[in-house]
Amino acid sequence: MKRSQIGELEELVLLTVGTIYEHAYAIMILEVIKEHTGRNIDVTAIHSVLRRLENKGFLTSTMGGATKERGGRRKKFFTLSQAGRNVLEEVMDVRSTLYNKLPKLTFTGLST
Amino acid sequence: MNHLPPKWADQFLEWYCNPNLLEDLQGDLHEIFYDKIDQGNVNQAKCSFIWLVLRSFRLSTIKRNSKLKNSALMMTRNNFKIALRVLLRDKFNTALSLAGLAIGITCFFLMGFYVKQELSYDQFHSKKDRVYRVWLKEVYGEDKIFFNSVTPWLFETLLEDNFAEVETAVQFDNQNFLVGEGNTRYNENVGIISPELFNVFDFTLLSGNTSAPLQGKNDIVLSESYARKYFGDQHPITKSMLIEMGEETREFKVAAIFEDIRKESSIQFEMAISNENNIDLYGERSLTAWFNVSPETYVLIKDKSSINTVEAGIPEVVMSNLKDRVKTGEYNIGFQPLTDIHLNPAIPVGIAPVGNPNYVSILGVIGLLVLITACANYATLSIGQSLKRSKEVGVRKVMGALRSSLVYQYLSESLLITLFAVIIGVGLTQLGLPIFNELTGADVDIAFEPWHLLLYAGLVLLISLVSGIYPALVLSRLRVISILKGNSQSSNKHFIRKGMVVFQFAITVFLISSTLIMRKQLNFIQNKDVGFNYDATVSVPLYPDPSAQRLSQMTSSAIAKGNLLKEKLNQHPDISKVGMGTHVFGNSGWADLSYTDDKDTFRQFRMLAVDPYYLSTFDIKIKEGRPFDPESGLDKRESIIVNQAAVDYFGLVDPIGKQLPGQDFGTHTIIGVTDNFNYSSLHTEVEPLVITQNIIPIYEGISDNSFGDSPIPKLVFKYNGSQLTKVKYILEKEWKATFPGEELSFNFIEEEMKFQYESESRMNRLVTVSTILSIIIASLGLLGLTVLVINSRVKEIGIRKVIGATEASIFKLLAGSFSLQLLLGITLSIPITYWLMSDWLNDFAYRINIGIEVFALGAIISIAIAFVAISFHTIKAAMINPVDSIRVE
Repeated sequence: MKRSQIGELEELVLLTVGTIYEHAYAIMILEVIKEHTGRNIDVTAIHSVLRRLENKGFLTSTMGGATKERGGRRKKFFTLSQAGRNVLEEVMDVRSTLYNKLPKLTFTGLST
Repeated sequence: MNHLPPKWADQFLEWYCNPNLLEDLQGDLHEIFYDKIDQGNVNQAKCSFIWLVLRSFRLSTIKRNSKLKNSALMMTRNNFKIALRVLLRDKFNTALSLAGLAIGITCFFLMGFYVKQELSYDQFHSKKDRVYRVWLKEVYGEDKIFFNSVTPWLFETLLEDNFAEVETAVQFDNQNFLVGEGNTRYNENVGIISPELFNVFDFTLLSGNTSAPLQGKNDIVLSESYARKYFGDQHPITKSMLIEMGEETREFKVAAIFEDIRKESSIQFEMAISNENNIDLYGERSLTAWFNVSPETYVLIKDKSSINTVEAGIPEVVMSNLKDRVKTGEYNIGFQPLTDIHLNPAIPVGIAPVGNPNYVSILGVIGLLVLITACANYATLSIGQSLKRSKEVGVRKVMGALRSSLVYQYLSESLLITLFAVIIGVGLTQLGLPIFNELTGADVDIAFEPWHLLLYAGLVLLISLVSGIYPALVLSRLRVISILKGNSQSSNKHFIRKGMVVFQFAITVFLISSTLIMRKQLNFIQNKDVGFNYDATVSVPLYPDPSAQRLSQMTSSAIAKGNLLKEKLNQHPDISKVGMGTHVFGNSGWADLSYTDDKDTFRQFRMLAVDPYYLSTFDIKIKEGRPFDPESGLDKRESIIVNQAAVDYFGLVDPIGKQLPGQDFGTHTIIGVTDNFNYSSLHTEVEPLVITQNIIPIYEGISDNSFGDSPIPKLVFKYNGSQLTKVKYILEKEWKATFPGEELSFNFIEEEMKFQYESESRMNRLVTVSTILSIIIASLGLLGLTVLVINSRVKEIGIRKVIGATEASIFKLLAGSFSLQLLLGITLSIPITYWLMSDWLNDFAYRINIGIEVFALGAIISIAIAFVAISFHTIKAAMINPVDSIRVE
């Protein structure tokens, strides 16, 4: 099975872009992640992850309209590509398969 | 909205960021910035903006755009790419240049490391700048000078007690003892040292008592390898060792082990005992004597003190102690920096051997010369190529290339080729080092150190600049119009190119003729009739009776013991002419005696004590009078034989039956006169020599004596058998039967004689290696040049052949173009060689004349090599079918 390796942060960003669905750009992604996970991620890290994902073909991007709060600069909006969707599903499959095999005993064992 | 992000950060972002990413990234950063401003936190907003800009500076955001492609960085990449292609295009030429440079660099490294090793003597001591060796110079008149770098024993306390500037004074001496017990006794050279020696010099103590080794008389310290030799893998500390000293055998306790002393140390010892033992070894009187020298004394000056203050105070201290015995200025003590010892021939040799500074500088210069030849070679070859590449230059210039960018282009080529050459050179040096050491006996050792990388990098830059700058300038100077019109270049450039060929040849011929001259001189001294016969002659050092105290007792007891061995050896048919004498040939330090004769003239002569057979062992001719008669008791007591030099020196007329001019000698009569045989090396003239069987009458008349060689007799004999290896077998058998438990050592006189010229022949071998390398470089250069010249004249050759030129005449034409340069090179080299080699020959008292034949031979060799190099391609060119060469325009 040929699989594209994606890292944990990459997966998170990919998911976020997918859920925002429209007009996802770096800062919004940042805020959504912060809201859901409480993780305070540096914007430069998000940028570098976005570039990587775009190069791998999991994201596509378009330039949006100019906004005033950015000094007239346009935003770059990202959308999930089909390949991105596939890779997310693969990852989820692997996780749920493994999760289901987790013996229940583990939890009782841990509680003592 | 009055606040703006820090301007410089914003500009920095714009400068480095890929424009495709810039808008979005910058927008995001600004958005975050203004968000923070809205929250009313200006400073934090600015800080975080700067932080984010810096964080964004990563490889993926750095721009790769058209602006940067014009910059030097990108151009350099392009330059190297083109350079590599150019080098690969003409593989033959590249290989020649590369080989030439690599060989030159190898030679430079080998010579360089040899020179560095010579220069690094004693440099590893951390206190080297404060350590001085003491010398003593006694001057009692014109010829009566005693100059020594070994000193009286009392200097150690004298210097420590009288000079506040002296932190410590230490002494180093050595003596041979029999070490070990039973059948495993070795004759070892044992250092006798001050216990504080380890504080002054950086000899590392590894185990045992490392803070204060040699606490008592019976402590001994060993080097790591000697600890292994005596104790194997056992722990050596506190083990005992037996050393035979005089009559008694003493037991020493191993107190510490030190790291083997490095090669580049003047002070060398493998085992050492404390100098507290001096009192037993030499007696109390010696230790307080002012005119008895043996150990080397070193002083360590206190930090921030100057040796000059000590020097200035010396005369006063000397006079306060010796005012009854010497006049002012007669007894002089001086100091020599530790690091000066190895290469300063002006101060006499102490215990450590001294190198010849001339040889070191000559070899350094030769290494450099060969490297320069290699650079010149590369330059000639690449200028030669400019014929081919002029069109390339023209087109580049038409396209708008600046001269500077062309220069960079060509320099990148030489940088690239030098880089490869240095890598190959380093490899060759490592590979060739064992061979080099074997050939030259130089014993160079290259341990890699990190700074070598810097050296290599520096060399790459330097060599590529030196060898590349001229071709680069020449090539880039070409004018577009004349190139594209097809005009040939100005003659000026040919002149310089030819000049370089001449220069290369001059150096090569210089090296060839120097090698020949050295070889001739070495052959001369090794084959010179020295006046005695030493073929297959063996010498065996004897041991005196342990109880013998005085020199005469030692001599006679050793001769008595020698006679036991002699009787046994005489039974072997292959051994004949067994004799004994205090000194043998091949060692220059024969007993040097001096006295003041009845006319108040200071006289110096050398003495050899022998048994009646010694002279016949070496076939030494008696030209007047008669040899010693073995049967005569009178001869044994008082007859002496002198050499011709002594007859002349003492002004004896009709010497037979006369005596030496002097009042105090015992009864003695001259019974014979020998020819002047060269008992010392041929660096010096034959000195006056007195040969006697009984040293007592001579000793009565002299005032001073000194020995460079042990005066204990040696047994000598001729071996007539065919197998030299059998000597060892016979000797070992008889030695063991006669002196069980003593170590046998023996030498062939011939080898010892050769060893006297060891440094000269090593020098000769080193120069020979360089010569061969430079010949290879020069022939590679010629080969390349021939190819280039022929390529540019292919059509001309074709046309000449069509008109009717023969192959021979074409060969003559092509070869002729190099002849002038060759001849000029040879002519130039003659005066340089003559001047330098005369200087070298001045070291010999017996020397050859630098004849014209050396230069003739050198010239013939170089011309022959040149023609071989030229011929291959020239003949090929001359044979070429003109149809092939002129068919295509």
